[in-house]
Amino acid sequence: MALTGSPDTNAQHVPSWAGGEPADNLAEGLQALETYKKKDPVKVIVRFKAVGNAPIMKQNFFKVTVSNRFQAVIQFLRKELGWKAGEPLFTYINLAFSPAPDDTVSNLYRSFATDGHLIVNYSTTAAWG
Amino acid sequence: MSAYATQRHSPASFSSPASTTLFRRLTWEGTVPLEIRVDSKELPANSNRGLEVYFIQAARVTYLPLLIPEIKRFLLDVVFDEDAARLLKEEDWWFESEEGNLLKWHWPVGLIYDNHTTLLSSQSGASSSAKSAAAVPLRLILHLASPPTDKLLLSPSAESCKQAFMGQLKEADFIRWGNTKRMTGLRKQEQDGIWEGIKEHNFDDYWRVASKVTPTTTPGRPSSPPVQSATSTLHARPPSADPQGAPDRDGAYVVRSVPVRLYLPEGPVIQDLAPPLLEDGSPNTLSDFLSLHLPLLFPAPSSSTQAPRNLAYALIQGVLAPPEAELAWLGACMSGADGWVNICIGLLREPGGR
Repeated sequence: MALTGSPDTNAQHVPSWAGGEPADNLAEGLQALETYKKKDPVKVIVRFKAVGNAPIMKQNFFKVTVSNRFQAVIQFLRKELGWKAGEPLFTYINLAFSPAPDDTVSNLYRSFATDGHLIVNYSTTAAWG
Repeated sequence: MSAYATQRHSPASFSSPASTTLFRRLTWEGTVPLEIRVDSKELPANSNRGLEVYFIQAARVTYLPLLIPEIKRFLLDVVFDEDAARLLKEEDWWFESEEGNLLKWHWPVGLIYDNHTTLLSSQSGASSSAKSAAAVPLRLILHLASPPTDKLLLSPSAESCKQAFMGQLKEADFIRWGNTKRMTGLRKQEQDGIWEGIKEHNFDDYWRVASKVTPTTTPGRPSSPPVQSATSTLHARPPSADPQGAPDRDGAYVVRSVPVRLYLPEGPVIQDLAPPLLEDGSPNTLSDFLSLHLPLLFPAPSSSTQAPRNLAYALIQGVLAPPEAELAWLGACMSGADGWVNICIGLLREPGGR
């Protein structure tokens, strides 16, 4: 269970199904939702790789908190590159696809990490469109 | 799509048993009722008040940007006067739910509806059951100005929606096979055709192309010759992750992982690898997957608790999904048009067993 750092803290694991009231059921469910909503403070390494004639970064490894959305990663990258608003920048995972901007680093890392890194390619023109 | 109209039979039937085609058809034909109301504070002067509500029975596989032309036509014909119509800028439009939640341009309409249904289940006082909410229109507020662009993430154009859709298809392809060769092997005309299938809500147009990237459901048997030859010319090198010499290398049970996302009522969205088979070789079921990722809501069966009590239910394409459903089958038959199986989690009021 890699979802939260400590999923057990608030959980009621007592199997109360034998005498469970509907209200208890909902309260317990809501408590579980609160646990899953907690932001994971874990950081992972994101590695940026230039594609085509995009400028290369001197430092291209960054530790990123996994609860960040991919949109935040894009904004961080634009800032590092000194990109102005409106200047085109296309981002891909594993030279293959552009994730939805609201997907989290956590989800992308779990599904697509290579050798412990989430590899984000960036390009000034659309590739693998 | 007259260019494709020469073939009479459904393309999905080329590679799949009749039941697969049936469930794909049922998924495709699913619709949800929407009630769209222009924010009363933003209605232009001289609008025809009292008529500013529009009802649509929208396809689950469509997207909000694709509904805008129809809504706009209604507003111009019935609600706005000529002056207001001239000032109307649909690039400033955006939608909110009645409760004030921003609706994303790149979520399929069916997902927006199901996510809202499960959101109600986690709120006190609201009707809890997925069944009772089934026929109730989802009330949307249409805003005509000041879009919160930073939160919407995309512009409301059909073109950016198409790009996001193709991105999701490719991500699903990568999840399944560890590469996107099936998607990049599609010709431009085919990539455009799959999107036209969504826009026109045409099952045959969509599946003519989608059948080349969606796994088949014939475990142990080779797929029929037309699909086999078509795919082998497209992919010169077999994906390295696939077992060599497998009977059906496009089969639902030989994928690396099934594209699955779990949607909790107020977030987060959880995505992780979901192999079609467990380590012991048995099919990975919905129950296995939910117990692994949401054990507080779907406790795993153990020796001490023979009948674990589920606190939640799973909604897939508006259907209360049985726990024994196999992820591989769900991926081949119940995924959305973007290739993803979206599972919305709602809370049960009454204790639920399995």
